[in-house]
Amino acid sequence: MKKVIAIALALVMLLGLCACAASGDKKTNDEPAASTDGKKTIGILMPTKEQTIWSIQGDRLTTAFEDAGYATAIEYAEDDSAKQAMQIENMITKGVDALVIVAVDCAALTDACEKAKDAGIYVIAEDRLITNTEAVDYYITFDLTRMGELQGQYIVDQLDLENQDGPFTLEIFSGSQDDTNATFFYEGAMNKLQPYIDSGKLVVKSGQTSYTQTAIQSWDSSKAQSRMDNLLSGYYADDHLDAVLVAADCLALGVISSLETMGYGTSDNPYPIITGQDAELAAVKNIKDGKQSMTAFLDANALCEIIVPVVNDVFAGKEPTSTTTYNNGVKDVPASTYDPYLIDKDNVQYLVEVGFYTDAEVNG
Amino acid sequence: MNNTQKTVLKPAGSEHANVGKTLRAYSMVIALVVIAVLFHFLTDGLIFTAMNLTNLILQNSYVVLLILGMLPVILTGNVDLSVGSVLAFVGAVAAILQVNYGMGVVPTLLISLIVGIAIGAWQGMWIAYFDIPAFLVTLSSELVFRGLTQVVLGGASIGPFSPAFRTMASSFLIPDEVSAGTVMSITMIIAVVACVLFVASQVLERRNKVAHGVPVGSPVGMIVRCVLLSAAILALSYLMGQYKGYPTVLVIMLVLSLIYSFICSRTIFGRGLYAIGGNRKAAALSGVKDRLYFFMAYTNMGFMCAVAALVYAARLNAATPKAGVNFELDAIAACYVGGASVSGGGGTIAGALVGCFVIGILNNGMSMMGISADWQQVVKGLVILIAVAFDLLPKRKKK
Repeated sequence: MKKVIAIALALVMLLGLCACAASGDKKTNDEPAASTDGKKTIGILMPTKEQTIWSIQGDRLTTAFEDAGYATAIEYAEDDSAKQAMQIENMITKGVDALVIVAVDCAALTDACEKAKDAGIYVIAEDRLITNTEAVDYYITFDLTRMGELQGQYIVDQLDLENQDGPFTLEIFSGSQDDTNATFFYEGAMNKLQPYIDSGKLVVKSGQTSYTQTAIQSWDSSKAQSRMDNLLSGYYADDHLDAVLVAADCLALGVISSLETMGYGTSDNPYPIITGQDAELAAVKNIKDGKQSMTAFLDANALCEIIVPVVNDVFAGKEPTSTTTYNNGVKDVPASTYDPYLIDKDNVQYLVEVGFYTDAEVNG
Repeated sequence: MNNTQKTVLKPAGSEHANVGKTLRAYSMVIALVVIAVLFHFLTDGLIFTAMNLTNLILQNSYVVLLILGMLPVILTGNVDLSVGSVLAFVGAVAAILQVNYGMGVVPTLLISLIVGIAIGAWQGMWIAYFDIPAFLVTLSSELVFRGLTQVVLGGASIGPFSPAFRTMASSFLIPDEVSAGTVMSITMIIAVVACVLFVASQVLERRNKVAHGVPVGSPVGMIVRCVLLSAAILALSYLMGQYKGYPTVLVIMLVLSLIYSFICSRTIFGRGLYAIGGNRKAAALSGVKDRLYFFMAYTNMGFMCAVAALVYAARLNAATPKAGVNFELDAIAACYVGGASVSGGGGTIAGALVGCFVIGILNNGMSMMGISADWQQVVKGLVILIAVAFDLLPKRKKK
């Protein structure tokens, strides 16, 4: 009897799941079958759906390529590099013509990319440069160091460090050490801030200024919150914190929660200047509420404007134009960059204008 | 098992052996104190400050809450791998209800708790009544609810919660408007009452044992225990009183811990869990409703996941898709470090709480010292091993 019930339950579950999954997947399932006739297919590989930026980029790239007359296939790897390598291999088997890859682990795709190369597939690394292989044809990224500089410069401007004597207090929250980009953000920001730290206008009371000391493992909000708690109780019991250089919105979320708990956010104890990037919705709301100062936003439209012509050129048999090169350890990869877009209290609405968020999401 | 039988059968042992036994029973508490003091000096006195003590409690609140669900499960000889995902999912549901549907605090709390209980019951049903291995069922849920969390949140963090919702995690027992002096006096009054209650409970328990002819040994151990614990309560309360008094979360944690400690050690249900973990067949034959107990243990785990999820989401003031990753390991590690038996049937809530704060102080101290995240993991891993070895090896020699 129990077995019967168990099997029945399992069946009901499966049926229900299939129904759900089918309604969700319709778009992607139909495409390859309907559109491979004559059209070139672009495989898009994104690291994870868990960060808004990648799900939005995935959607935008899909639309942009389809508008340009290509078929697309897209996969998210749940931040698992082995899974991503497998997805690349599956795409090769499916017979895609070009791959756009945002690597989970920049160093772990050598083998998969070489297989793609052997199959004559054009490989574009996006955002994160795939290292130690000849098999990367092109690299498109926002300017990583510029992102950090934007954050650093924002703090310099807001505190008016050129004219004020200070000293102002500063703490630093860098990204995850297993993400190579995080070093560039840190370096970019420190390009702008280090001179003022050296001259004593900016004081990091905890003394924790190096990249490794300030890195937050896995970009984890709650780890950032705990670290901010610890810094505030250890070093700012009697002092106001004036600025926090935070590498990304997910970290800023934790930093702000900590500050809020510790009594910041009143008129005589205002929030410090807090930076970020990614324009996550929660961060955008915090910017509107005056809790976070700025975020920097990677305009997926700007990315598409660069990436579609590159693919067009390749399929037309031309060498795509590039503005610079990045060395991946084996070769200089031709590359193009685009600038991040700064969002603060004054231009939040821009996110609605470019269709990044709906008006209801931001203002609702 | 053998060991305890022998000691019970032995006529009252020599005073010397008793001291040794007591010391071993408290080895993890000693380790906790040593680690805390060590970091206090390494950080130039930042650990035992009023504010940091409050931080320590808030930072570990969700692990403590998860332990209250995990320990009963571990007592049955299993673990629950789905904890982090269920926590993320319940947090996501709460965020959707609050932020997107503008629902009030009370309905949000109730619905979230019901969702947690339902998930627990779902797992408990498969484990208890269909005999699917717990490891597999909870592994399945880990995937299912991590996936559903992403579906619900659409890959983005959702926040902020209403201020009323946040008070749960960030407020203090005594309102902010009260003057610092009053905070201190109320805090200390509560602390003294707690000490008196503790001492009274110890004395009563001892009298009870004597009345029932249970051998009790010399009262020195009890007196030392009362003095040390009272001193700890008073000292820690004094420190917290200097800041804002007891955090509300601490009160929630303490009340729940006391209830669960009572359930595990004093009720038929609790003793049944130990019996099942010791030997399921024997327990079933002696009348323990093993299936029902399994079901209850997992349902309770779901409930505690929901409580932890609410506290966690309120503390971060947002529901994030990455919430709760590896929390199951934090909770399981705390239980084992706190002396729970891997094969089931052994362990206490109090022990697990000590284990939790051993790990908590490590995290807190290393973060204060500015040790980088990679080395923090190395140190934490090694300390967990050493702490458990320190606890278990002396017992092994005795064999």
